Amino acid sequence: MVDFQIWLVSTFARATPVARLMHTAWAWPIAESVHFIGLSLLVGMIFLFDLRLLGMAQRIPIGALHKLVPWGVAGFAMSFFSGILFLMAEPDQYVYNPAFQSKVLFMVAAGLNASLFYLTSYRRVTAAGAPALAPRSARLIAVASISLWISVIIAGRLLTFYRPAPCGAEGPGVLAQCLPNYYR
Amino acid sequence: MDPFFLWLEATPLSVWVRESTSVMAFPAILSAHAIGMGLAAGINSALALRLLGVARGVPVRELRRFVPLMWLGFWLNAASGALLLIGYPTKALTNPVFYLKLSFIALALWTYRITSRRVFAREVDQTELAAVSAGGGTVGVVVTQEAVKLRTLAFVTLMSWTGAITAGRLLAYTYRRLLASW
Repeated sequence: MVDFQIWLVSTFARATPVARLMHTAWAWPIAESVHFIGLSLLVGMIFLFDLRLLGMAQRIPIGALHKLVPWGVAGFAMSFFSGILFLMAEPDQYVYNPAFQSKVLFMVAAGLNASLFYLTSYRRVTAAGAPALAPRSARLIAVASISLWISVIIAGRLLTFYRPAPCGAEGPGVLAQCLPNYYR
Repeated sequence: MDPFFLWLEATPLSVWVRESTSVMAFPAILSAHAIGMGLAAGINSALALRLLGVARGVPVRELRRFVPLMWLGFWLNAASGALLLIGYPTKALTNPVFYLKLSFIALALWTYRITSRRVFAREVDQTELAAVSAGGGTVGVVVTQEAVKLRTLAFVTLMSWTGAITAGRLLAYTYRRLLASW
């Protein structure tokens, strides 16, 4: 895993044009704004859909409300691509950061959870004549979705507090040099 | 203003927000602020998108069921924002961008208020909204004007939240003074 992290950091570190762009006065704040606007779109659309599955606003047909979900996915794309820019510009601030690692795990879990919804429940809950209340399995997926996305946001906000402490080493090998037991 | 800033920055609550190493202090306040933002701006944007013609099968009035959650997000942010302000009053209140952010939030609240009165109130004629659902223009001139009004409000709502979030992010980059005591 450590070797993979070092590889990742050195690969991203080669993307110097991105780093140079991101370190201009406006690029980082603009990318952050896009990141947060995307977050809001994702939360707004996806949470409404999840809450509908959980039984809120049962007079709204689930299939009709699902038309908002692509806008949530667009929000995710905004956050994802702005996030990639941060990662490419400052790889060792993220790759070695436990908050970032948790954030990625929560996102992967949220993605798998969404896939599970489309594989098992989507057709059933949006079919013509489907009952207003979604089945228990879909409700569980909705609870997982809300919990995982909240975890993603919290882990994201914790990033700044878990930056790897400077240990005198710099560059892609920082972790190997800063973990005393790595080359034991 | 400096005496006020100095006094506020010396209060135990302000010191706690700034200096506590507990994960329940600054990190938790920031997390709450981000989640509240998603709920308030996100749910209000869902309503705005619906009025702009997305998800036309959703009965607009039923979206009011989600409004309490939008307000939960709003008050979560008012509270967490107040704590951040108590922690760093000089940083926020000497920065014009902070007032810009508040103005955008006020604009979003104002457009929400006008919109909600028009679409959630019992007296609203559902044919007016049908015009919005059908893309406007098909029902009649008066109705089309109402649809145009609602869409304009929805557009201003989306722009206000975009402005508020952008201004909020810029606060970290545009402040001139961090603390009055420095």
